[in-house]
Amino acid sequence: MKFDDKVPIYYQIKQYIYREIIIEHLKPGQQIPAVRQLAVTLTVNVNTIQRALSELIDEDVLVSKRGKGNFVTEDTEVLKNLKKRTVEEQVSNLYDNLTALRISPDKMLTYLENYINSRKEANHD
Amino acid sequence: MTDILTIKNLSYKRNLTNILNQLNCSLPTGSIVGLLGENGAGKTTLMRLISGAANHYRGEIKVSSETSPSDRKQLVSFSHQVDDVNRSDRLEKIAHFYEAVYPDFSTNKFQRLSEFLNLDLSRHLNDLSKGNQMKFIIAITLSRQVKLYLLDEPFDGIDSMSRKKIIASILQWKPEDATILISDHHVDDIANILDGILIVKDKRIIVSKNADKIREDYGQSIEDFFESFYKGEDQND
Repeated sequence: MKFDDKVPIYYQIKQYIYREIIIEHLKPGQQIPAVRQLAVTLTVNVNTIQRALSELIDEDVLVSKRGKGNFVTEDTEVLKNLKKRTVEEQVSNLYDNLTALRISPDKMLTYLENYINSRKEANHD
Repeated sequence: MTDILTIKNLSYKRNLTNILNQLNCSLPTGSIVGLLGENGAGKTTLMRLISGAANHYRGEIKVSSETSPSDRKQLVSFSHQVDDVNRSDRLEKIAHFYEAVYPDFSTNKFQRLSEFLNLDLSRHLNDLSKGNQMKFIIAITLSRQVKLYLLDEPFDGIDSMSRKKIIASILQWKPEDATILISDHHVDDIANILDGILIVKDKRIIVSKNADKIREDYGQSIEDFFESFYKGEDQND
């Protein structure tokens, strides 16, 4: 995995695991790999992985089972919120960037709609 | 977290020249820390002092609870300890030498590490490429079962495949409670695997910081943060 070297690594690992859960590469109730294995796969420090995982456990996104390991939550409410929060973050970035260009909300919708249509057409080709 | 290493007011002279002056630092147990500084800043000297290989210093160097150089030698595995071996020997013979000299040497760990790094133990050390020589040095240094490992410039002048393999072996084989200090003058190679960095400059440690804290507080890469301490110096030289 490629990291942005200006952003804390633990934060990027959390984002990576959120994505894996949202796109169901990691399914509800599925066990996630052991800490050291994640460290080797992602080429980061074990303590950094540990920090990311313990924050995910605090957020109830992961559930730690004593002596067994860490599992993706099966709580649908938590998973729904996770997806909502992640999508909203992206939308909020887009909103802020366009606002900075003095685009009005109505115009934003038009731009977005036109863009989506052009991507759809591109995919048909 | 407790500290595996604490250094207080360390001063060291060679040929009447101050190499280190009133240096202070500590290393937390179980971490991987980068020792950064320009060539000639005193990184290797500091490692030699910690490992007990260099003497006649002032101040205190404590590893676990031991302060005398001979006691520290037992607690620290230093990559330059390989300098004591005969480089025309086969790798397996050097491993036997380590087994005889260091009671904490694990032949089992050495064999598994050598296999992981694809080292042919029947080869002679000085016949190997630079990358493979460094792989061997890493394997044999990490095969001592100690609490503190010192790796001096393990990525200097080696190819990127060897570098990746060495980094993987460090992550894979570091015991959880062991600490590794890695010196480097090009931190980009290893920035992602570091818990923290120490910067040596002007004969002391001028920075001791957590790596993610640097990214969080300064919005900078570790490399840029490190280089910011040298900005504007070129003109003065």
